[in-house]
Amino acid sequence: MLYRVIDASEIPLLVNAFMESYEVVAPVETDQGVNFEVIDSPDEMKLDYISTVVSPKKYFLPPKEELFRFDAQANEVLPTCVEFPKRVIFGMHSCDINAMNRLDLVFKDCERPDPYYVGRREATLIVGVSCMPGENCFCRLWGADEARYGYDLFLTDIGGKYLVSMSSVEAANILERSCNPRVATDEERQAFRNQTRRRQQSFNADIPEIQEVALLMDAFHKDPFWEELGSRCLGCTACSAVCPSCFCFDIVDEMDPDGRCGSRVRLQDSCCSPDFAVVAGGHNFRPDGRTRVRHRMYHKLNGFLMTHDRMLCVGCGRCVTACKADINPIRVLEFFERKGLDNDE
Amino acid sequence: MMNSLRAPFGNDGHVCECAQHINSISGRMEIDPLGNYSYPLSGQELMAMNPYRPWSARITSITELTETEKLFEFRFIDERIRNAFRHKPGQFVEVSIFGVGEAPISISSSPTKEGFFELCVRRAGAFTQVLHEMQCGDIVGIRGPFGRGFPLDLMRGHDVLCVAGGLGIAPLRSLINNIHDERSSFKKVTIIYGSRTPSEVMFRDQFEMWRHRKDFDLYLTVDHPDDGWDGHVGLVTAPIPTLELNPDDTFGAICGPPVMYKFVVEEMRKRNISYDHIYMSFERHMKCGMGKCGHCQIGHQYCCVDGPVFNYWEAKNIQGSM
Repeated sequence: MLYRVIDASEIPLLVNAFMESYEVVAPVETDQGVNFEVIDSPDEMKLDYISTVVSPKKYFLPPKEELFRFDAQANEVLPTCVEFPKRVIFGMHSCDINAMNRLDLVFKDCERPDPYYVGRREATLIVGVSCMPGENCFCRLWGADEARYGYDLFLTDIGGKYLVSMSSVEAANILERSCNPRVATDEERQAFRNQTRRRQQSFNADIPEIQEVALLMDAFHKDPFWEELGSRCLGCTACSAVCPSCFCFDIVDEMDPDGRCGSRVRLQDSCCSPDFAVVAGGHNFRPDGRTRVRHRMYHKLNGFLMTHDRMLCVGCGRCVTACKADINPIRVLEFFERKGLDNDE
Repeated sequence: MMNSLRAPFGNDGHVCECAQHINSISGRMEIDPLGNYSYPLSGQELMAMNPYRPWSARITSITELTETEKLFEFRFIDERIRNAFRHKPGQFVEVSIFGVGEAPISISSSPTKEGFFELCVRRAGAFTQVLHEMQCGDIVGIRGPFGRGFPLDLMRGHDVLCVAGGLGIAPLRSLINNIHDERSSFKKVTIIYGSRTPSEVMFRDQFEMWRHRKDFDLYLTVDHPDDGWDGHVGLVTAPIPTLELNPDDTFGAICGPPVMYKFVVEEMRKRNISYDHIYMSFERHMKCGMGKCGHCQIGHQYCCVDGPVFNYWEAKNIQGSM
């Protein structure tokens, strides 16, 4: 990878340069917390944030999107045009870039690519930014604390300056045109190393480090713990809504008011929704909180690993905040941490 | 790597891999119902461009099988799609009735019959109710075929034991009729088909004819016989212990209600048929058919791409499958 250094004061120049030909989305402080929103000026941006409430996946998989139009009377597809705006997502953290790389495996680099996802993904530039972990962050446990690919530029804060990792020509051209990127000095390289060290030492030590969690998920598939955890689930699906790597969806037909034409739309869905696994005739393959929550955790911490060689959870910690019933992967890790130690159980 | 200029749909007539019909300069993707794109595409290319887009197919024949089941024959209107559509026994399609929605339905006809395909549909909910009310000549949307079917290539040259319960005969009929059409490629073929009552036996004419054939061992069985019933009475598992079979040379193919699998598999295992020679088709709600939407997940597998046909060894290794 190619590295250069720019001053922190050059960031607004870079953002302004992107704005000339792209819609720029960046973390913005709102009364609802920090979230990704379209900005009109670099001043609106807040680059030193812990986590956004909602993940940036909404720019690749909108919560609701029209797939095509149809005529219900003739029962035929109508001409449909979908637009993919040229966009820069500025200030994505490593966990979210890694989550997007996982979405790529399901929607882009697969046997049947999803043209809607591919269209958005290819029209989007990603500028990552380094971060310091918050109390719910456990990305390091899954190796998602470092974005090795999936971005166009990645900015690491080395104190008043940024070390910029340049991945794509398109973004590098804009960087060179708007800023004065220079070769890193020895001091700057050391500052970079100190930054990564400080970051590694800042993770919440109370979160158990259990590398073999996938194996344990299999071994304890029938443990009463899942009833204890799952029976709390309210089925609100907030976990999947905020999750950067949850991608399940529903496909439904929505009629226009005239009752003649309509749209086939894709809606964000969740395996924690009570009727998610219902089949024709009414049988529900996951009828209770126990089976639904276990399935979600299993897919995150074991299943995706089996099929794609990496965890689907990236340890961003958003579900820890979002779940009103205190169900999240940290609780699963804590259960495995306790297991076997307490002989009274 | 993002937004690279791939010129996937440029004016030079160059077409690259599937789903890349997005104009990368304007960022527009167009869906044309007639498939009139600026240069000719094959049926395969058209279907791959947008796998969510159903293609119009006309109902060309409707046969009433029972009080609740009908057999529909469909033909694609676009000749390119009609020619490109090829399936394997055990695969399914997504059927669209716009405004009502979409449903996954397994293909019931044999791949050896080209130009059309058949779906056996039970009236079970709103979607199938509307489909049942449709007439010959009516149009539906179809996308697919999807999924992994029965392993015909592995089965050729061996004995096959098919066990169907109720509506499970729908996908198995595709396999059975395929075997029939290339009968010399298979050795001993045994079919056990169980229904609750004689009036629920589907494709009865076909099976009545086959009862006297020497090249198919057919066991039609019902739970509750009537006065006219001269077939077997009892569960589909009943004939298995006494079948003449060579376990090393036999493939099992099972489809039926979820409760049936455990018992049929148990009987086949007692006859020493290997775990990986027992194939079964699972039912889940496949909404996208492409391993994305998540509705059909069983453990770490997607019923729609890894299945719906799994062998027993695979099924045992999926948490929550049986």
